Amino acid sequence: MILKTRAIKDNKLQLGEIPTEKIDVPAFLFIATNNARCATAEVYLQPGAHVNLGQRIGMRHASFFDQPIHATASGTFVGLEKHYHRSGKIVDFIKIQNDFQDTLDPSIVDRTEEEIAKLTRADMSEILKDDSLVGLGGSSFPTYVKFQTDRPIKTLLLNGIECEPFITADQRLLLEDPADLIAGIQLLQQAFGCHDARICVKKKHREIFDLYAKVLSAYPNSGITIVPVGNFYPQGWEIAMIQSATGILVPVGHLPSEYGIANFNVSTTVGIYLAVKHRMPVYERYVSVCGNGVMSPKNFSVRVGTPVKYLIDKCGGYKDPEIPKVFILGGPMMGASLPSDDCIITKTVTSIIVMNERTYLEEPCIRCGSCVFSCPVGLQPVQIMNAMRQTPVDKSKVKALNPLICIECGLCTYCCTSKIPLLEYVRRAKIVAKLP
Amino acid sequence: MDIIKEASPHIRRRDTVDRMMVDLIIGLSPVILFAFVVYQLAAVRNLFVSVGTMVLAEFIYVLIVNRLPKDGAKHSLGEKFKYGCSHYRLSNFLVPTVSGLIYGLITPACFASVWNGSSWVIANPYNPLTDGYAYFVLIAGALFGLVIAKLVFGGTGHNIFNPAAVGFIFAKECFGSRYRVANYFANYFNNITGVDATTGSTFLSGSFSSSASYANYSLLDLFLGVTPGLMGEVCKVAILLGLVYLLLRRTIDWRVTLSFLGTFVFLMFFAGLIVNSKDASIGAFDFVGYQLLSGGVLFGAVYMITDPVTSPITSPSRVLYGILIASSTVLIRLLGRSDYVKEGMCFSILIGNMASPVLDYYKWSSSKFTVKNLLSMAAIPLLALLVILWALGVSLPLGSSGIDNSAGGTTAALVAGLPILGGWI
Repeated sequence: MILKTRAIKDNKLQLGEIPTEKIDVPAFLFIATNNARCATAEVYLQPGAHVNLGQRIGMRHASFFDQPIHATASGTFVGLEKHYHRSGKIVDFIKIQNDFQDTLDPSIVDRTEEEIAKLTRADMSEILKDDSLVGLGGSSFPTYVKFQTDRPIKTLLLNGIECEPFITADQRLLLEDPADLIAGIQLLQQAFGCHDARICVKKKHREIFDLYAKVLSAYPNSGITIVPVGNFYPQGWEIAMIQSATGILVPVGHLPSEYGIANFNVSTTVGIYLAVKHRMPVYERYVSVCGNGVMSPKNFSVRVGTPVKYLIDKCGGYKDPEIPKVFILGGPMMGASLPSDDCIITKTVTSIIVMNERTYLEEPCIRCGSCVFSCPVGLQPVQIMNAMRQTPVDKSKVKALNPLICIECGLCTYCCTSKIPLLEYVRRAKIVAKLP
Repeated sequence: MDIIKEASPHIRRRDTVDRMMVDLIIGLSPVILFAFVVYQLAAVRNLFVSVGTMVLAEFIYVLIVNRLPKDGAKHSLGEKFKYGCSHYRLSNFLVPTVSGLIYGLITPACFASVWNGSSWVIANPYNPLTDGYAYFVLIAGALFGLVIAKLVFGGTGHNIFNPAAVGFIFAKECFGSRYRVANYFANYFNNITGVDATTGSTFLSGSFSSSASYANYSLLDLFLGVTPGLMGEVCKVAILLGLVYLLLRRTIDWRVTLSFLGTFVFLMFFAGLIVNSKDASIGAFDFVGYQLLSGGVLFGAVYMITDPVTSPITSPSRVLYGILIASSTVLIRLLGRSDYVKEGMCFSILIGNMASPVLDYYKWSSSKFTVKNLLSMAAIPLLALLVILWALGVSLPLGSSGIDNSAGGTTAALVAGLPILGGWI
């Protein structure tokens, strides 16, 4: 089919109806030391030490910032254990034996309304840095960086689009936690000094619009509105979202703040509220477990540090264990596939997708052009593939095709009629294009 | 339970190359059905021979390309054959089938193989299957089209030229004088069995006077296919049915077909205005209608220029590609002097195929419509228009050979040259 892919068929409306299940905290929790952005880390504890919920137990070091590590349960520090991180690497995890008391750390005291009212953008930046809040939609981009801009912000966009198929974590958060979300938005409005805040949600989620019509009527003149955006993928990409919600087209390579826009994921917004109001780091998050490889797909609200196997067991285990599985953390389009299910829920894991493995027969390219029509940044993936298949690779040609603006949304591979893994070629082309 | 690591994305769209080819076959089926009903055994023969030849050639190609790796050990012939066969996929069958069907549909129903002292005549008009010469022409064209135009380039996806078009041109150039077209449709409804050989004529040459070719068939006749012509191209209703299906299934790109038809109508309308100013009996709209419905314009626009492999990739290039082919077709039709290039469609397709790598050249191809693109889109038809104005405005000795030019001059020759009577070139 010669067709531009817009919407990807998913089962969101079905999975999204399942209420979030709050499950018991497991006996052992694991906190990642280093992650994709921070290469090294130090742990402040000795084995056997007692930790409290929310206690700062270590520090991750990256090239230009440090990120504190917080305990997400109270208990005893057992030691370091190696598991798979969301990024696909094996890293050291801090193992904590849960004492099921959830004793709060003494540092965790609620801020009073007066204290909060005095906070400026710079103060909030400090708070978020201390609580190591990152983009919880999956980007894991440090949130405080977005607060460091001096530019005037006219519009706040709250990203509740969740354009990846199958995932319903943000959808459940929007439905179940509107109060915290709106409190978070009000903090953002205060920090950026802007009145206009828009929650962006896909058109098809009628139930969210119905709910927020009621909820927002309790906040007159708050400036918070909910705007419907397209049902297509990658609508959650910030440039696509900004264009749909405000009509402003931010050129690739420019920051939204240059155009007076700040955008945050909805779960990050709730995290901001948690950090500012309760001085609490993110210790819980919404995770959806789905795919055709699990018995019963479910939405969970889980403690950060829960082993994934624990959640799979809560879903009834694997379906058809004789079929090999693909194990994905994140969405099916951009999520990382792990070679083992021995991994841990970190702050930025939005979903666990277990799919029965399917191999596709790769055919020669018939130049149908679907990838070119579908590419959201206007690249020509098939030309990049042809340039990369030449031997030797013509570097100037690869550079002229500009693969560096690729956002790796995966649509080219998704829509390929010949089932060619085009994104792999584009990834390699990116490496080639970076060469001098 | 095994867990397998794979690169993202982890889901794929459902369509495949095989499905696309099956869709093309379904899209061709109204035309094939028409050919089977009207041309009967001749259509069965032509389609089976051309499809069979192409499929067999592709099969042998698969065997040749997928030889057992040299590992020193002796392998029996059976092993080698089995290894080659294990690389034969469904698409190796479906893709040449589509090429073969298209090639088979642009062959005439019968061939003249007996020289009666003054001209070539059909050997046995009542049973076309016994005509051995026809098999030879069909197989030669199909083999040339598939092997030279596709397999030597590396098979599916690597060819520059449309195999069916190349095969057709080869067969037509070598054996064109033996092609015979007849009004099978009329025969069919008048219960005449076999071929009325006297109706047969070398298409486009001068045995039909200008008035005969223009007046004998109304636009409706052309639309319904009640005219002599090549098997697939005569019935425009069937072609339009196929077009609707292919567009609904998105098997073909509407940009190519639409830009082609738009440019063709635009240029022909201007040419029609000039003709009308010289000879008031020919209306400009009639002129456009006859041009659009005669010959292989619609068949080519639906089934041949839309072949994705030989067309460019980005949407502006595809629009440009359609415009280029249409302009070239119009110029060949109006200004071509030889009988052999009077129709223009097939050569234009090859010209477009040749231009498509140029349109895709990385330094100027873009997936968005740019000012440069739009300028070239406007420039090509305008240039063609200038040529038409210059050529038709001045009294040029236009027209095909064998037509009495003395009476009507330019316009009469133009009308006489209308390739109504079938024929792709």
